[in-house]
Amino acid sequence: MRVKTEMKKKYKLLLIDDDKDILAVLSKFLRKKKYTVVTASNGLEAMKLFESEDKDFDLIITDLVMPHITGVGVISIVKQKRPEIPIIAITGWGEHPEALATESQADLVLKKPFELSELDNLISKLLSKNNNNDT
Amino acid sequence: MNIPPPLIGVSQAIESIRELIKHVSDTGLNVVISGESGVGKEVVAQNLYFSSPRKDKPFIKVNCAALPEGLLESELFGYEQGAFTGANQRRRGKFRLAHKGVLFLDEIGDMSISLQSKLLHVLQSGEFSPLGSEKDIKTDAWVIAATNHNLEQDLKNGKFREDLYYRLNIIKFYITPLRNRPEDISPLIEYYIQRYSNHFNTNKLLKPSKKVMDSLLAYHWPGNVRELQNVLKRVVVLKDWEEVVNELNSSSLPTNLAVKQSDESSIVSDLLDPGDLETKGLESLSLKIIKKKVLDRIEKEVISYVLGKTGWNRSKACKILKISYKTLLYKINDLNLEPPSTLKRKLS
Repeated sequence: MRVKTEMKKKYKLLLIDDDKDILAVLSKFLRKKKYTVVTASNGLEAMKLFESEDKDFDLIITDLVMPHITGVGVISIVKQKRPEIPIIAITGWGEHPEALATESQADLVLKKPFELSELDNLISKLLSKNNNNDT
Repeated sequence: MNIPPPLIGVSQAIESIRELIKHVSDTGLNVVISGESGVGKEVVAQNLYFSSPRKDKPFIKVNCAALPEGLLESELFGYEQGAFTGANQRRRGKFRLAHKGVLFLDEIGDMSISLQSKLLHVLQSGEFSPLGSEKDIKTDAWVIAATNHNLEQDLKNGKFREDLYYRLNIIKFYITPLRNRPEDISPLIEYYIQRYSNHFNTNKLLKPSKKVMDSLLAYHWPGNVRELQNVLKRVVVLKDWEEVVNELNSSSLPTNLAVKQSDESSIVSDLLDPGDLETKGLESLSLKIIKKKVLDRIEKEVISYVLGKTGWNRSKACKILKISYKTLLYKINDLNLEPPSTLKRKLS
């Protein structure tokens, strides 16, 4: 059992949301699920993290409506530079998810409110899909 | 021109704009720059262009508020010879001219809804067709839009298409009004005084005195950086800080009241007697009088609301309002409150 946990790769996730509470809840949950979580509270901060070399992310989760660089922008930039990184977009209450989801090139769009377990399942699915592609 | 106009300022607001430009200028993602008139939206657009890989291609500017709808459409998309009466020769549209470069759509908030749909179509398909043409032309123009409107508000009022908003608003710049970043005033003065002194070929001007500087910092700059530029041009030509700055402070208030620049000034102009202001000038302004007017207005609203709710039962009303019966009667009289005609008969 012990060997198995050590063998399992610890995935690094980039979590982007301008809502501090959501950021706190999600990162706490994902850390419990044994992911390494790096957070950014807006698109610009996320881009800086993304461009710094030592941060090699396996998956990105981003809100869509944010100041400066929106989630749609973040996704476009990431997909231009690193198309293999899977991205989950989250759309909020009272926004218009249809219009936004059409704009974003996210692998998956998740509408708030959602179950944390649902998010966990989607992450696992995207990561394993990517791993299978690698081998 | 092969260097961008400088983005001057030391405030956090300007710093973060510089940083954002650095991060997005090579993405070609649609941009919206918003902010009041005169804050420098075009300066930001040009800085984006000059730090992008498109800097050797054209930068084409279209002012969407300056042209009537039909003309704007043919300006953007062009037309074929004979497309309409007077189309004597083919004309290439701005989308064509901006191919591989930048199309700067200024005052996008003033574009008509029907043209917004056509623009959306171009942005979605990457193609457009000139008036009278059957062929679609591919376009790779980087669209940078600017507006002094609050587009979110325009969305709610149905004046701006939601799908176009989301398509354009991928990178958002907001430029803070100059009055909210006074620390930028000094570097702006230094830069423009130097520039205008060279331009008008005058000797370098002395720095403003502390008193002058204080009033420049305290001034609310409704016309933002553009207004500051105009002031500095005058200073350079007249070689007199005091005179220009005094003029600024004495002329600014009445024009603002008249123009209704913002909600605040409209409240002021609303409460002042415009005739009085015109004939007597600023002397007619009295804070005491305005205070009384505002208070009266609010008291009148509240009291008449409570009276309405109680069916003009004054003893009930005075208990709710927590004032004496006598005070209520006095207020009703003083504020010219009258019961609705249906109640009048019962009361009398």
